[in-house]
Amino acid sequence: MNFEIFLQLYGYLALMVIMVISLYGIVRGASLIKKLIALTIFGDTANALIIFLGFKFGEIYPPVLPTLKPTLEDIAWFVSTAVDPVPQCLVITAVVINMAITMFLAFLVIQIYRLYGTTMVKKIAKLKG
Amino acid sequence: MKTKDVVIGITTAILLLVIAIAIILGGTGWTPLTEIRLLAKFYLENCFNLFDKNYWAASPEAVSAMLWDYRGIDTYYETAVFFLAVISGVALFRIAEVKVGAISSMRRELGLSIIVKTVTRIAFPLIITVSASVALHGHLTPGGGFQSGSMMAVAFLTAIAAFSRYFIEENLKLTKDNFLTLRSVGLITIAILALAPILAGSIALMQNQAKPWSSTPSFPEALGILWTAGSIFYYNLAEFLTVGAGFTLLFLLISIPEEEFRRILRL
Repeated sequence: MNFEIFLQLYGYLALMVIMVISLYGIVRGASLIKKLIALTIFGDTANALIIFLGFKFGEIYPPVLPTLKPTLEDIAWFVSTAVDPVPQCLVITAVVINMAITMFLAFLVIQIYRLYGTTMVKKIAKLKG
Repeated sequence: MKTKDVVIGITTAILLLVIAIAIILGGTGWTPLTEIRLLAKFYLENCFNLFDKNYWAASPEAVSAMLWDYRGIDTYYETAVFFLAVISGVALFRIAEVKVGAISSMRRELGLSIIVKTVTRIAFPLIITVSASVALHGHLTPGGGFQSGSMMAVAFLTAIAAFSRYFIEENLKLTKDNFLTLRSVGLITIAILALAPILAGSIALMQNQAKPWSSTPSFPEALGILWTAGSIFYYNLAEFLTVGAGFTLLFLLISIPEEEFRRILRL
């Protein structure tokens, strides 16, 4: 097993461990705030995983053509050196949307705290009326 | 209670094991080590190909080209999700009027220490400038509407943290309604830009440069000497307004003092 394959597998496994731990946090968190934090970690890990899929070893450049008057050689060089732009495109929107959804859930939690005086899931479940 | 914990622990461990085995057996598909996938090659080759304009997007930045041209519908729906999240936050926190006058007399004492305030005073216009620059160059350099909008919101967030929300409402004369208007202007601009190709007779929503299967004219790729990459420049500007004003609006709402809310809820 060469070094690059080992590094790739190690990255995937580390991300998966974080993902499973955050999933556990979402399920078992006692307070809604803890669930929200675990959900944020879960979303960020998913984004990191997508970015990791687009990585490659060797000579790499960002997927931006540095000139407005490229020749055919420039384009060939660009195709051979740039990293995969597809995951970056997916993640750019996902990060911002994640943040908006997190803000909305935080608003909900704050409102629940204002109305019921607690964010503990078990106490909220026992409330009547 | 104890057995429940054990069951959940074992389930988590099995889940991790299953995912690990799936990855080792190649569950992530073909992940090349030193080259890129064919789809990515197509985008990189065609995004600014001056010699074969059949599939081009007129933007030297591949990510922006994909975001607003090749995969435009996806971004359109992401913007819709963002709109829904912001509007539901605003609907949850709708209150009549936050009373400012009572607290504004002791405004000088609000916020953090003088060191933080001075640094924020210097950094605030700089962050706004950088975010505007990222938005305006989104089609040429790394960046774009989403990133620059987040940066602008961070500038306002630092101001809220260092001074207080009354700094924005009184010194900058920007209220929650101003940000709501700015965000709506951005969203309406995106909607008009997306519908413009259809009104011009195209078959594709959000068409930037004409592709072989649609014969309608494409957006002009430059305004005089200013390269706008078709519609990508305008999309980035509109998205900058939408995201920046939307997040600032949410930050303003979340920083309303708790006493104000309790006073209003009791009434």
